[in-house]
Amino acid sequence: MPWRRLIISFVIIAPILALLAFGFTRDAKYITSPLLAKPATPFSVTLFEGKNITLEDLRGKAVFLNFWASWCAPCRAEAHDLEAAWQRVKDKNMIFLGVALQDSDQASRDFLKEFNVTYPNGKDESGKIAVDYGTWGIPESFFIDPQGRITYKHVGGIRAALVLSKLEEAAKSIASAQEGRGDYQGVR
Amino acid sequence: MLFSKLFVLYVLLVLFRSPLFAADVPDLEERTREIASELRCVVCQNLSVADSPSEMAQQMRAIVREQVQAGKTAEQIQDFFVSKYGEWVLLKPKTTGFSALLWILPYVVLVIGVIAALLFVRRIAARKKLAKESTVPAPISDQTRSELLRQDIEIPDIEDNSSRAELLRERARLRSELTELDFDYQSGKLSEPDYQALKRDVEAKGAGVIQQLTALPAKTVTPATAKAARVKSVKDAPAPSRFRSWQIVTGGVFLLLFGLALGVMLTKSIRPRQGENDTMTGDFMTGTAPANSEAGAALAEGKQAFSRQEFPKAIEALKKVLATDPDNPEAHSYMGFILMQAGHGDGALLAFDKALSRAPNFPMALWGRGMVLYQDKKDFAGAREVFERLLKLVPPGEERNEVAKVLAEIPTTSGMPKPSSAVAPAATPSGQTISGKITIDAKLKDKIDPQAALFIIARSAAGATGPPLAVKKIDNPTFPLNYSLSQENVMMQGTPFTGKINIVVRLDKDGNPTTRGAGDLIGEYKNNPAEVGTKNADVILDQVMQ
Repeated sequence: MPWRRLIISFVIIAPILALLAFGFTRDAKYITSPLLAKPATPFSVTLFEGKNITLEDLRGKAVFLNFWASWCAPCRAEAHDLEAAWQRVKDKNMIFLGVALQDSDQASRDFLKEFNVTYPNGKDESGKIAVDYGTWGIPESFFIDPQGRITYKHVGGIRAALVLSKLEEAAKSIASAQEGRGDYQGVR
Repeated sequence: MLFSKLFVLYVLLVLFRSPLFAADVPDLEERTREIASELRCVVCQNLSVADSPSEMAQQMRAIVREQVQAGKTAEQIQDFFVSKYGEWVLLKPKTTGFSALLWILPYVVLVIGVIAALLFVRRIAARKKLAKESTVPAPISDQTRSELLRQDIEIPDIEDNSSRAELLRERARLRSELTELDFDYQSGKLSEPDYQALKRDVEAKGAGVIQQLTALPAKTVTPATAKAARVKSVKDAPAPSRFRSWQIVTGGVFLLLFGLALGVMLTKSIRPRQGENDTMTGDFMTGTAPANSEAGAALAEGKQAFSRQEFPKAIEALKKVLATDPDNPEAHSYMGFILMQAGHGDGALLAFDKALSRAPNFPMALWGRGMVLYQDKKDFAGAREVFERLLKLVPPGEERNEVAKVLAEIPTTSGMPKPSSAVAPAATPSGQTISGKITIDAKLKDKIDPQAALFIIARSAAGATGPPLAVKKIDNPTFPLNYSLSQENVMMQGTPFTGKINIVVRLDKDGNPTTRGAGDLIGEYKNNPAEVGTKNADVILDQVMQ
């Protein structure tokens, strides 16, 4: 009889303790995106050079979409890698698109000039594109396949090698099961 | 006529249209606020989108407002945000799917709690009833009864105060009481139930007395020994436990596990804040890197000691950090700065390289490595490369300007630094000094140590945590003392003596600049920071180190 009661007590207490322990191991700040393997939300962005570009225009290409800001240190850390990766794929059926958010026009332009960024970049004036893509920690990168489906998401700084391999996967419409993580900075 | 018709039309419009029109806007705002208050802000995660002052929340509110205007329902708007951020974005989780557990569980727990409480109350009531029943004395055996009614009982001496005598007297009293009860009953003075109840009570008392008498030794005992014996018997009797053993074991195990959970989890998750932007949970809660609270505390201690220029203490603390976290980039960087200051360029370079091997973009280590290459090794190309890398990592601001300034000073070819940063006193413009008078507070004059050395320390107001910009030592000072600091007092060759500078003065008892001990007198320029060129940066030594 006492042993039965002891076991019942443990059955009640153990899950409570397990829940407590699980809670401690979780990153409370991290927001897991529900967008993986889902169709990318259409958008239209005005590039710094004045031209307008929509996601529909990029249909048929593997797209690397990167959200950044000039005040974000991890964005600065990855800038060279992104440009290097772009130089490797610019002649393939792949496209890079940078979207600056929560930034001044001049600061964004200075950033692009400083890092000699040559791929198309525009500004999300209203923040709507950022919300459409569930952005919360920048830099955030999305890989979109030629059919317009998100195949991979990476929160934080990303290296050129990973950009290239995930773009190859996007070109083949291979979606990743999990999103990637690097050093990130919260949006403002 | 036409005018009067128009006027009537205007009045009607004012009366009927305007209130309706006016009601639209507050309604939209109220609706927006209502929906936004149900959404979690992605920046300040414990606030709703309605309450958060962040830019992101403002943008989210604008989207909510736009969708309300477009005629979408609250549910549709919530679904929109859930499709972007997941159910995390809802401050009130949904009542369907897995989230339904969050709503159901509290009620389940409540029901279980109520049932448990009812069972508990029932059990307590049953116990009380049992206890009440057990207070009715049980009938005694015939043998005890005949023993109690025995005629030939021993009568103690009237002066005998021993416990045996008292028990014998009590037995005699109970015997007589029992006889009286029998008489009263037989004479009809007592009812049957009353007689039985009283008789059982007296018999029980009598049985107790007889039992005690039997237990006593035959010889006469003194009252003192009898009392001692009674006390001992009470002590020796095992105390009845209110809890069963399984309850004690369960409680103990639960407390142990709870203590372990709190002890391990809390000590891992909470640590001293290491800076203005740090959190007390550090990396543990964010899961970005394994954190060690002990190492974190030691690092904080090392940094504090470093900023106070207590280098031996800083080294001890940093060693502790590296013992538990051998690759800690911050600890290696601080070690590098200390070695750099001590003139060990090679050691400093090694320390900065260790930091960079773990964190290739660690700004502090890049800065240190660049300075060593530039100042100590005269490897201008290498230094340029490091500073150019650092420049790209630092967002626009004062720190970045500082890096750019140093980078501009590094010669493009091998050789000595550009004349603009030359350290020769002759190259320093005469106005590039800070001067003033140092006095001692009248109350502290008796605390001057004749062996003490005076240190005048200048720190750049921009980089308050780094090593001092310039230091001047004056042995056997006499007060009041006029001083001046200039380019020739800078600690690292080539660093320009410019900008806003904090001036601190210390009269150090042991004359060692790296230690600060009790009894040292300190003071600072009251208008800190001083601009280079200030001529009356007077300092009063008015504090004593504890």
